[in-house]
Amino acid sequence: MTQPHWTDEDLLCELGAALREEEEADAEFIRAAQMAFTWRNVDAELETIGVVPGCELAGAGRVRGAGQGAPRLLSFHGGQLSVELEVDETGMVGQLTPPGPGQVTLITADGPQATAQADEVGGFSLPPASGPIRLDCVSGAGHFITEWTTL
Amino acid sequence: MAMRTAVYQRRTFVLCFDMRVRRNLRVLGPPCGRGMVHMGSASVVSGLVRASADGDPEAWNELVRRFAPLVLAVTRRYQLSAADAQDVSQTVWLRLVEHLGELRTPDALPGWIRMTTQRECSRYVRCGRRTVPVDPHADTAIQQPVTGDLDVDLLRAELRQALRDGLAELPPREQRLLRLRAADPPKSYQEISDLTGMPVSSIGPTLGRCLKKLRQSDAMRTYLADDSGQRKPGRRWSV
Repeated sequence: MTQPHWTDEDLLCELGAALREEEEADAEFIRAAQMAFTWRNVDAELETIGVVPGCELAGAGRVRGAGQGAPRLLSFHGGQLSVELEVDETGMVGQLTPPGPGQVTLITADGPQATAQADEVGGFSLPPASGPIRLDCVSGAGHFITEWTTL
Repeated sequence: MAMRTAVYQRRTFVLCFDMRVRRNLRVLGPPCGRGMVHMGSASVVSGLVRASADGDPEAWNELVRRFAPLVLAVTRRYQLSAADAQDVSQTVWLRLVEHLGELRTPDALPGWIRMTTQRECSRYVRCGRRTVPVDPHADTAIQQPVTGDLDVDLLRAELRQALRDGLAELPPREQRLLRLRAADPPKSYQEISDLTGMPVSSIGPTLGRCLKKLRQSDAMRTYLADDSGQRKPGRRWSV
């Protein structure tokens, strides 16, 4: 039985695409990804709180320029602690649930950036950040860390 | 409904393309004996995952090198800017570092990477991105359609990794010849002759032999063997 032949030209074409694809993942991209390895086991003993995928732009809708500078809402939910976060270019305001005093540390890929005290009703504020972040939260509920997420 | 049909047709087309690739590249001889192989032989990826989980940075670097194109392919579907794509991909790698020890089989890694990237892109596009493209005519934020099919990214990424791995199996001189000819635009025989010192008349036949070796490389044979009876039900060709 004869089969249609994938020509040498086809093969070279796909090989070229494969090689260019590898080049596109440029040195900086690769270096940053490789840096992530320094986080291995850093917070391994802490229970992770997952990010909730269904977050929305605060007050969004089809308003003019929605998304440009509009606050963004992020939620993290775990078995014993939830964190709501409202983020805009001036920083972030958060709420721990169950409400109560605690300590929240903002962590980026470069390490801890700032620590805030949550007030008696669980409110806290942190400076602006971008790129991958996570929050280390200590409260009456225990010590937890959020999943990495992108701001 | 019309859109669903269009998506279906595109998917069918690309899958057919991929099947065509596999069928037509199939080489004679027994497959290498391993099924469920992605992004290189399972033993290679398995070893890299295990060594990374045990703290070997070189193994991690190699995992990143192998799978960065897959992450990029997914971010491209969501039309992220280069800076946004880099942030999202960094999040994916940071999460992977923590999940290395939990991957039940290395076979699960490409799917895990694709799914995590896809979810984070989707979340980021909806509520995380710093800038939103605005349609100047409608004066509204442009909706971000996910174009194409994410399974196709995985299939294509597997093929291209197999091609890169297959190329790496060849001697350096043959690799160089193939790279020159696979460049965009391809180098002419005269240019290749000038660069390598090979007589123009011998380039064509040598190229043919190199391509044959590439088709018969372990990486390509393993990739093709994956399609010969050991495919996972429901994942590959269920359209």
